[in-house]
Amino acid sequence: MEASAVALAGVSKRFDTITAVSNLSLRIHQGSVFGLLGPNGAGKTTTLRMMLHIMVPDEGSIEMLGQPLTDSTQDLIGYLPEERGLYTRMKVREVLIFLAGLKGLSDAEARRRTDEWLDRFELASWREHKVIDLSKGMQQKVQFIAAVIHRPPVLILDEPFSGLDPVNAGLVKDTMLDLRRKGATIILSTHRMEQVEMMCDSICLIHQGRNVLSGELTAIKRSYGKNTVRIEYEGDGDFLNQPGVVRSLNRFGAVTEAKLVPGADAQEILKAAVAGGVRINRFELVEPPLNDIFIEKVSGAHAQTVADHQA
Amino acid sequence: MRKLWLIIKREYLTRVKTKMFIFSTVAVPLFTVGIFVLQIYTSRRQADRTLKIAIVDNVGGLADSIMKGLNGKLPNGQPQVAVVKVLDRPRVEATESLRAEIENGNLDAFLVVSADVIGGAPAELYTTNASEILFDTSLNRALSHAVIARRLNERGIKLQDVGKAVRGVEVKLIKVSDQGETEEEGETFITAIAVGMLLYVSLIVYGVTTMRSVTEEKNSRVIEILVASVRPFYLLMGKILGVAAVGITQYAIWAAGAGLVAAYGVTVASNLRPGASLPQLHLPLTLLVYMVVFFLCGYLLYASLYAALGAMVSNDQEAQQAQTPVTLLIVGAFLLFNVILRDPNSPLSAGLSLVPFFAPILMTLRIAIQMPPLWQIGLSIGVSMLTTVGTVYLAARIYRVGVLMYGKRPSLGELMKWLKYT
Repeated sequence: MEASAVALAGVSKRFDTITAVSNLSLRIHQGSVFGLLGPNGAGKTTTLRMMLHIMVPDEGSIEMLGQPLTDSTQDLIGYLPEERGLYTRMKVREVLIFLAGLKGLSDAEARRRTDEWLDRFELASWREHKVIDLSKGMQQKVQFIAAVIHRPPVLILDEPFSGLDPVNAGLVKDTMLDLRRKGATIILSTHRMEQVEMMCDSICLIHQGRNVLSGELTAIKRSYGKNTVRIEYEGDGDFLNQPGVVRSLNRFGAVTEAKLVPGADAQEILKAAVAGGVRINRFELVEPPLNDIFIEKVSGAHAQTVADHQA
Repeated sequence: MRKLWLIIKREYLTRVKTKMFIFSTVAVPLFTVGIFVLQIYTSRRQADRTLKIAIVDNVGGLADSIMKGLNGKLPNGQPQVAVVKVLDRPRVEATESLRAEIENGNLDAFLVVSADVIGGAPAELYTTNASEILFDTSLNRALSHAVIARRLNERGIKLQDVGKAVRGVEVKLIKVSDQGETEEEGETFITAIAVGMLLYVSLIVYGVTTMRSVTEEKNSRVIEILVASVRPFYLLMGKILGVAAVGITQYAIWAAGAGLVAAYGVTVASNLRPGASLPQLHLPLTLLVYMVVFFLCGYLLYASLYAALGAMVSNDQEAQQAQTPVTLLIVGAFLLFNVILRDPNSPLSAGLSLVPFFAPILMTLRIAIQMPPLWQIGLSIGVSMLTTVGTVYLAARIYRVGVLMYGKRPSLGELMKWLKYT
């Protein structure tokens, strides 16, 4: 069995009357990219804060690289919180040296790595400037450096690409993949499903504090089967109105995605199109996009809890 | 421990390096001393040359005694005022010609003593420069003396006899203490009030600074990565100790500055008048030691309360409102100064100096005036320390939860729940 970077066993956390996290169990493999997904208020931040030992679970236990959480396991983690924030009146270099020191680096080492990272992120000429003088994107990069500067074996990144232009987003992505190649485990929390599809090996979707879907991403998608048709056509779209075959439609302009009724044959759509004289440029059976799985799980789980409540 | 040290260091350095710190450290004493010096300078500025005056004496024979009274000297040894012309009961109106002499610069002023001045009529002083303070004081005194002497003389009394007859009785104040009896000229009171005020002001100033520092980290959201690296308790303690170090630095600079000025003053004074010394503030060593002990207790106590408040609020405006109850505790102690000063050893004073939140300030004040029984000091230190441990503990629990909470300020009930969170 592969070693776990982080393992949660039956973790619950309540605030007053609200249950933020309920009996959550997870294993995150070392060296993987793990996506922690869920709608707003699902309990993602609370889960991350418990991994970071900022909060202590009411029940259950958490292990970080095989050790129970302590003050010193905090140094094993690099954290990029969703709510970014730095000391705005301090100089860029001073802030990074200070934060690196708090993660256990010696003064000399903190200084050396700060300069190294500022060079790498093309911020060297800004190092003696106050943080407040930097653009939003540059501040994001500084904060990312603060998360990775002590070369942590576990990285927790909450919406790492928000506010970054494509060039800087590429820089951050390359750095993440580079760290992963060197053995780091990356926990990614995001609402951007296309990023999850591109980067994550496995995911956990939580909703109302519960694990509603988890496992390897490929296995999850495979389990849904190729139940979606991706179509590009010219002409009248009436042929898609087949309630017995098409369950729902998702139009993206040029491309239309049709989700099939379980057991329905995609050929029926094609026949109707030909009969209607519509020109088909693309007709592809695909696995459902993660976005759809997310929406289905979250609204499904919601319907389920409502039903539970009424029963 | 290294992390705690880093937090203290950052808190200290970022504060000490600000323009505000340098400004307040240098400007406050300079401003105070500057105003003081300016006042001394302006009050002496006029007296740099002999003023020439004329006297029109309509009584007769009064001018001589006025001149005897004008014996003030300039720093260079010349008289302050020289009477260059006396007109004894002139037959013709002399005012016009004297006026002309003022205008061409031969005279600075002339004094017209009316014939009925003995009966109570006023005298008149003609001058171009009405702001010459000297005329107000020296000349007025000399004239009054001359007139009073004449009035007494007319009743057959000598001025010297009156002086002896109306002399008041001096009461010497002797302070009784363990160190023996010392003559007292109000230094004890001044010292006590100064010590009390110093505690009062520094508890508020540095307490509020601690609170600001907490809200700053919370508002900038940097707190999230801090608590992911360090236990909140160390964060809180680092902050409190860092601000304390800033305060101590500021006082050390002021004390050193005051010491230099005092040393310089003594040198100058003893050059002018051998054997002279500046009036000194009584600051016995024991008082200084107690001051430090009680300051530390008081500061930790109030700074932790202010820090907890800072963690509860989400912006500076809310902080302004929320700090009122804590500030009122300190102001309350300040308002009780009177009770202590009036009778430092009364049961009321003793009781008040043992009340948890007042003890650090009020006990220091009592020690400064009159040494209370040792058991009371010990009890007061004990009470202060216990309160401090309590407030630091509560503040740490509130801080830990509060720094991650945004939005509405918690109610008292919610605060109680915070204390139970893990």
